[in-house]
Amino acid sequence: MDLKTAVQVSASGLRAQSLRMRVIAENLANADSVAQTAGGNPYRRRVATFKAEVDRTTGGMGVKVKDVEGDASAFQRVYQPGSPAADGKGYVLMPNVNGLVEAADMKAAQRSYEANLNAIEAAKSLTMRTIDLLK
Amino acid sequence: MSIGALDAALSYGRAAGIGKSGGGLGGLGDLGSGSGIGGSTGAAASGGFGNLVEQMVTDTASSMRTAEAASAKQVAGKGDLIDVVTAIGAAETALDTVVAVRDRVVGAYSDIMRMQI
Repeated sequence: MDLKTAVQVSASGLRAQSLRMRVIAENLANADSVAQTAGGNPYRRRVATFKAEVDRTTGGMGVKVKDVEGDASAFQRVYQPGSPAADGKGYVLMPNVNGLVEAADMKAAQRSYEANLNAIEAAKSLTMRTIDLLK
Repeated sequence: MSIGALDAALSYGRAAGIGKSGGGLGGLGDLGSGSGIGGSTGAAASGGFGNLVEQMVTDTASSMRTAEAASAKQVAGKGDLIDVVTAIGAAETALDTVVAVRDRVVGAYSDIMRMQI
């Protein structure tokens, strides 16, 4: 039945959004992770990208995480001569993580997850109401 | 969680075996006339209520087993919560369908039994 497929598709959305949420959590947690060696590169912000994929068993077009890619934007340079990660001139590269951007992304992931939850709930309630026709 | 429900489904499956022995809905009536639980002459009953119920119960039991396996994995810390939720949802839907169909058919049967001749 197509409602069952709808639930499976929404479940794939839940999985994708929870992975996106994980990536955002990693970005936030590593917002201050500097390089391990002097003058090296710090943590690079990562972004999850999605793609549509047909599930062979159900035939529904679900979503799948295509890749988790690094964000190519530039690192911030901060003058911290005391830091072990500082280069010869005393500058430390900070991760290209922006708290505001992550907060906005997190809200988007949260809303998308909730939308998928609502879709599952609607499909389930329709199924139950259809069964109730028999009673 | 669903051990009781699974037991119920299995015992209902045994009841479906009873229906099968008589062939169709008439099998329910045969209960009184000696063709007991063991009497699974089986092959004669192609189609009919017994087979329908048996098929549905088998499907329901398998979806419940899937749900139980997913729950067990989740409890052991190895499972995926989304898998558990979807599997239990599917099992619930299957069981509700079986119960609704059973209620409907049993209701029809007792309506016939109450009929004045």
